[in-house]
Amino acid sequence: MFSRILIANRGEIALRIIRACRDMGIEAVAVYSKADAGAAYLNLAHDAICIGDAPAASSYLNAAAIMSAAEITDVEAIHPGYGFLAENSTFAQMCRESKIEFIGPSTEAMDLLGNKVKAREVAAKAKVPLVPGSKGVVESEEEAAAVAAKIGYPVMIKASAGGGGRGIRPVHNKATLRSSFRNARAEAEAAFKDGSLYIEKLIERPRHVEVQLLGDRQGAVVHLWERDCSLQRRNQKLIEESPSPHISARTRRKLCSAAVRLAKAAGYYSAGTCEFLVDIEENFYFMELNARIQVEHPVTEMVTGVDILQWQIRVAAGEKLKLRQDAIPQNGTAIECRINAESPDHDFRPSPGKINDFIVPGGPGVRVDTHAYAGYTVSPHYDSMIAKLLVRRPTRQEAINSMKRALEEFKIRPIDTTIPIHQKIFNQPEFVRGDVDTGFIERTFFSSSRAGK
Amino acid sequence: MARVLGENHMDIKHLKNLVALMVENDLTRLELEEGETHILLKRGQAPVVNDMPLPAPVQAAPAPGPAPEAAVTPPQDKPDLRDLTIRSPMVGTFYESSDPDTPAFIKIGDIVEPDTVVCLVEAMKVFNEIKAEVSGRLTRVLVNNADAVEYDQPLFAVEPV
Repeated sequence: MFSRILIANRGEIALRIIRACRDMGIEAVAVYSKADAGAAYLNLAHDAICIGDAPAASSYLNAAAIMSAAEITDVEAIHPGYGFLAENSTFAQMCRESKIEFIGPSTEAMDLLGNKVKAREVAAKAKVPLVPGSKGVVESEEEAAAVAAKIGYPVMIKASAGGGGRGIRPVHNKATLRSSFRNARAEAEAAFKDGSLYIEKLIERPRHVEVQLLGDRQGAVVHLWERDCSLQRRNQKLIEESPSPHISARTRRKLCSAAVRLAKAAGYYSAGTCEFLVDIEENFYFMELNARIQVEHPVTEMVTGVDILQWQIRVAAGEKLKLRQDAIPQNGTAIECRINAESPDHDFRPSPGKINDFIVPGGPGVRVDTHAYAGYTVSPHYDSMIAKLLVRRPTRQEAINSMKRALEEFKIRPIDTTIPIHQKIFNQPEFVRGDVDTGFIERTFFSSSRAGK
Repeated sequence: MARVLGENHMDIKHLKNLVALMVENDLTRLELEEGETHILLKRGQAPVVNDMPLPAPVQAAPAPGPAPEAAVTPPQDKPDLRDLTIRSPMVGTFYESSDPDTPAFIKIGDIVEPDTVVCLVEAMKVFNEIKAEVSGRLTRVLVNNADAVEYDQPLFAVEPV
């Protein structure tokens, strides 16, 4: 087992990793930027090294500075957390070439799964359903029409070089296909200098269901069941829960097995999450495999009782997974609310600043993961998430009741936070009965009838 | 702690922790023996117990220009407020000279210019020359040879001339 680990991250995930290290008797070395100097969680690490100025490029993305810090503190492994360098295979390679273990998957698995085309190939080989679509780039309007007719409307025309939600056009019927194709091509040329397009089936009102995976270096892979993350705003998750209220036990088993098959086919070890879109008929389609620990991992920790962070560290140190698939429970329902320093009333603009009051909820089944506290200043330089509020109760309705209570208890003043929007969501009948999709939040709170607010 | 200290040298970080401990507990004197090392830290003057709440400062105006002449002479081990600091621009290991047999790049009393190489900081086997970036006379060296240093860590105090 490692005696000392460096944490190449900040905030609540750095604190989470420090806690796992302390639980295991491992010395934790934290790194921080000038903007994070003085943060209380740094005092819980065995040592803390300043690595650069506030901008992420100077600090948390500064691989050279992080490697230097690892060198002078003589660590045996680096945990990258999520975001920043967590899925940077060059960084993973740098670590391993310096004889420092990177707590995550192999560089090969990371490269394989990080490439959308290759990931789809692995999924296909593992007989994991993919979103039906064209085999590759669609050259002409005629080909587009043929592909669309084959997979069935509605379809999405997507720019190969696109990203960030741009270069995507829905087409609902064949009457509009040709003109949409022409326009999409022109748009892609203009925006990305590359007019290549491909076509995928448009999954209407999809649910986002993902499976937590854990693998060891001996090839064993288990799943820790699924999480439903359909409550999103602009592709940012707000609320996650386990189990998913949208799928039957049968679909659950099929989904989780598919995820394990894919991970094994990719030679995946460490923690990872396999994301799927699920349609109204419970058909599921592989989206991508995130080769890292995720923000919402505590949801799974609460229903399974498995400490995912500790297992990540053990696996990295070469230990075998001692978890039997048939012995991993899914007890009750756990729900997580991501609390961000943002103003819901002002288009969720960030609301950094000093926190004077910070009253954290408690009671049975409540878990709060946060690096913030009274006196802490939320800086504008990084992600606006300041806390994760989780509740686990024996039934979903009880979890909802307790979460409403906990949201009421949670006081963060004077900065604005997203607590009010969570309170509104928990009062929506569709959410309470477990019937939402990824467009729900936009439709319910931000539809055009509310424009001009 | 894995950082190389060298013999008979204080670990600056260790001393900082002791000072923080003193401040936290409002101690004025801390004496410590660790093996062959004897540390004695003294701080300020004996605290005055004051039961009355201090009046809120009215119109707290910042002191203009350079630091005001202190009414109380600061203890000798406090940095002169007029000093400039040369700080490390990177994480690594500090070396005072280009090799063990060569004298240090600079010594106390030397004049430095912005382009004067004041030390090396080594990271991942690459030795980086660190320039002063300021002008003045070197008054203090704040780290020891082969110490681990972090970003922005003070290395030298320079008195403007």
